[in-house]
Amino acid sequence: MFFQLLWTYLKIGTFTLGGGYAMLPLIEKEVVDRHQWLDGKEFLNMMALAQAAPGLIAINSAIFLGHRLYGWKGVIACVLGAALPSIVIILLIAMFFTNIRENATVEAVFRGIRPAVVGLIVAAVIRLVRKI
Amino acid sequence: MLYLQLFLSFLKVGLLGFGGGMAIISLIQEEVISHGWMTQNEYIDIIAISQVTPGPIGINCATYVGYTAGGIAGSLIASTAIILPSLVIMLTICYIYDRLSERWSENKVFQGIMRVIRILVVLLIAHAAYTLITPASFIDYKSWVIFFTVTLLTTLPMFVKNKMTDIAGHPILLIILAGIAGYALYG
Repeated sequence: MFFQLLWTYLKIGTFTLGGGYAMLPLIEKEVVDRHQWLDGKEFLNMMALAQAAPGLIAINSAIFLGHRLYGWKGVIACVLGAALPSIVIILLIAMFFTNIRENATVEAVFRGIRPAVVGLIVAAVIRLVRKI
Repeated sequence: MLYLQLFLSFLKVGLLGFGGGMAIISLIQEEVISHGWMTQNEYIDIIAISQVTPGPIGINCATYVGYTAGGIAGSLIASTAIILPSLVIMLTICYIYDRLSERWSENKVFQGIMRVIRILVVLLIAHAAYTLITPASFIDYKSWVIFFTVTLLTTLPMFVKNKMTDIAGHPILLIILAGIAGYALYG
């Protein structure tokens, strides 16, 4: 269970581009749809609590889910999974690729990804409306 | 001393950062400028980088600021400190929530309140999607084609449930494909 949670959140952490709400469709897909760890209602309750508390929504929801599924070990697995990809990638960029922002290829790739992320969130809303 | 300052600053950000990503970025900005860890322009660059790299923006930003101010140790201290308040507060909230749902799971009023909260959360998410539709993200008709294709493919498994629609509607696959499409269309 520990490694399953860690792996799931590593995937979520690695493919969240654009922060915050971009993470939501991925969490919903993995947690509600694929593994069925939470039902739609519980997922929305979790999002409500994660937003009401201070701090990062992605981390707060990782703590809720980890705690619910596997106690404090689950919390460690989910938080590590959510934060590690960020930390590693940012460190690499800070050390080696400080000019990534001016890179034309990166900008082109993101021009494709930005509207896709909005589409993912809209689809999540459509799915969640039916589960309220 | 620098490490202690980094730790306390990001602990404060984690504790007072209500409202997620963007709210947290402005709190970090105050800390960064008041301690002189970097200039305003350097910080703006870091926000931009945090948005084009994977993961929560707050963690990205904390890691970058921590690294610039105090190397690898600084980055680990900053990212840990921003998470710590969440751990304490969220675990307390989980505890209370579990107790409440146990005791009042049959209570009509409690169920009603939770239902209203869920409706608000969905509205909040819909609003977030709406605010993301900006001229900077939707530059031409091709952006809209990508947007509608992704929305359609991820909604489809709700109505046609089979192996094909399930694979085609996976968010990770769609993000990768959208990135390739962006490179092909704009690169």
